[in-house]
Amino acid sequence: MSRRFSREALITSSLLIALLVSVVVALSQGALDLDLIAVLLGAAGGVDTEVLSNIRAPRVALAAAAGAGLAASGAVLQGLFRNPLADPGLIGVSGGAAVGAVTMIVLGAALNLPPIILAYSIPIAAILASLVVTSILFLFASRHGSFNVATVLLAGIAINAIASVVIGIFQYISDDGQLRTLTFWMMGSFGRASWATVIPAILAIAGALFLLLSQTRDLDRLQLGDAEAFYLGVDVQRVKVVIVFASALSVGVAVSLSGIIGFVGLVVPHIVRFVVGVTHTSLVICSALLGASLLTMADLGARLIMMPAEVPVGLVTSAIGGPFFLWLIVRKVPNAF
Amino acid sequence: MSFNNRCRLWAFLLFCMWMPSVQADENCDPGNDVTRIAVAGGSITEIIYALGMESQLVAVDRTSNFPAAARSLPSVGYVRNLSAEGILSLRPTLVLGEDDMGPPEVLEQLASVSVDIRTVPEAHTPEGIVEKFKCVASLLGLSEAETSPHLLEMSRSVSVIRGFPELVSNQEDASVAIILNIQSGSPIVAGSDTSGDGIISMLAAGNAFHAVEGWKPASREAFLAANPDHIVITQRGFDMAGGMDGLAQVIEIASTNAFKEGRVHVVDGMSLLGYGPRTLGVAVDLFSDIFPSAKF
Repeated sequence: MSRRFSREALITSSLLIALLVSVVVALSQGALDLDLIAVLLGAAGGVDTEVLSNIRAPRVALAAAAGAGLAASGAVLQGLFRNPLADPGLIGVSGGAAVGAVTMIVLGAALNLPPIILAYSIPIAAILASLVVTSILFLFASRHGSFNVATVLLAGIAINAIASVVIGIFQYISDDGQLRTLTFWMMGSFGRASWATVIPAILAIAGALFLLLSQTRDLDRLQLGDAEAFYLGVDVQRVKVVIVFASALSVGVAVSLSGIIGFVGLVVPHIVRFVVGVTHTSLVICSALLGASLLTMADLGARLIMMPAEVPVGLVTSAIGGPFFLWLIVRKVPNAF
Repeated sequence: MSFNNRCRLWAFLLFCMWMPSVQADENCDPGNDVTRIAVAGGSITEIIYALGMESQLVAVDRTSNFPAAARSLPSVGYVRNLSAEGILSLRPTLVLGEDDMGPPEVLEQLASVSVDIRTVPEAHTPEGIVEKFKCVASLLGLSEAETSPHLLEMSRSVSVIRGFPELVSNQEDASVAIILNIQSGSPIVAGSDTSGDGIISMLAAGNAFHAVEGWKPASREAFLAANPDHIVITQRGFDMAGGMDGLAQVIEIASTNAFKEGRVHVVDGMSLLGYGPRTLGVAVDLFSDIFPSAKF
């Protein structure tokens, strides 16, 4: 037992160090050539300081928070649906959040909301929409008393199709400017981050992670089956509701501020499972840490590849995640080829 | 040039001389430091080159493809999808953008770093182009002597364009469709309230897709019902469609009067829709293509 514990502690602390290193690297690198130490010591010029504190720091914080939220949600959703392919993007939660956000982007202008309310109305709409999608999925998947692996994925495909129709309608009715905004928004970017929206996002995602962590022990028992967990004293319904709510919260917040960033919720928990096994407490903690550092690095890549222009970070993660997903299918299904 | 047109030119020149005193938009006030300019918008880049100030340019965006030399400058991305840090990395003293520059969050980030950032107003009229030119010149702190040769030339074109309605008053109405490109089989056409619609108004012609709002894919039947007499398509859209042979495969285009009579006009997209100085010349050329018998 103690050996197992020390191994987990070792992995967790090395992931924590990796996250710290990637945050420092992401803060020190960028299109603008600035000296991080000079800025921290107050020895740099005004522009350098302002770029670091108002442009680079909030986006690194948002990338890390979104990575933690998406990866941890992927980990618990995979546990909840007992389905290793449950990724917030694949099963339609991100798509649902995107519908909420896009609705607000297009209709929010018509509502004539003041900018400060508009900025928060988009995340709230995204959270509500992802909550609806997760609940629908949940109803579909548990209708016959037990979760069905294929049903969840198929329902996810259907929900994604519906989401893309709704987004398509909004693209059609939006004007030229909104249309181009939507197109780039859909590809995902942390470039719009500002402290005013990032701080509430970090608080919301931290709250969601805390809620998820409070359910991980029961989630472990749930892997045995609903009835078995019930006899072990688990309030099955409460566990499911809390997990659905908390993962919808973190995915909704992440999507609303940064657009659709695919595959983080799929890839990260899989890598973590190789190393720490299937206990959900360490799985969620390690997924959050690894997700945060991976997305911080992916965003750094997106900033540096085409300097001084930027590549949408969603393209970077999908370019890595897509092939990984294929590899996963080949590995899980021996007769795939 | 007829007597009538000459009168109009003089009236316009007088109007121009009077204009600087009522410079309404504070975005056009001279910049404090114009030594390092980052531009987001092809027409502004074009104006800066026309004014001979290109040595002060440090960055442009992806729509800045004229003149060709502008393409060798560092690119800060697409005009609506700029990167704040990318722009700042070139240490601009002034950021100039079209009115669709964005996203707004990035503009806020730039403003928070106290960069002088200006949005040049745009109106889809011939006078709007002159105003844009004057706005950029005033921003760069150029004197009247430096800009007047350009303004004189532009105001000539403007007065020619303003004479078009009279020239076509005794001619049959011509309906024009402006096609941006053909996306998955559907032509994207300029409806009302677009930069394309502004061009059609300049030409004193009718927009075949007036009932449509914004740039929209036109359905096959809507296109056949509109049956434009003239089709104006961007060079890029034309090349992507595979030239005339490619257009012949798009049944709704091939069935129009315009295509059958060989009245398809291919124009460089940025010069047509960018509302820079070149747009005036393009409008004059298109007019003489569409109304060959009208003399001006």
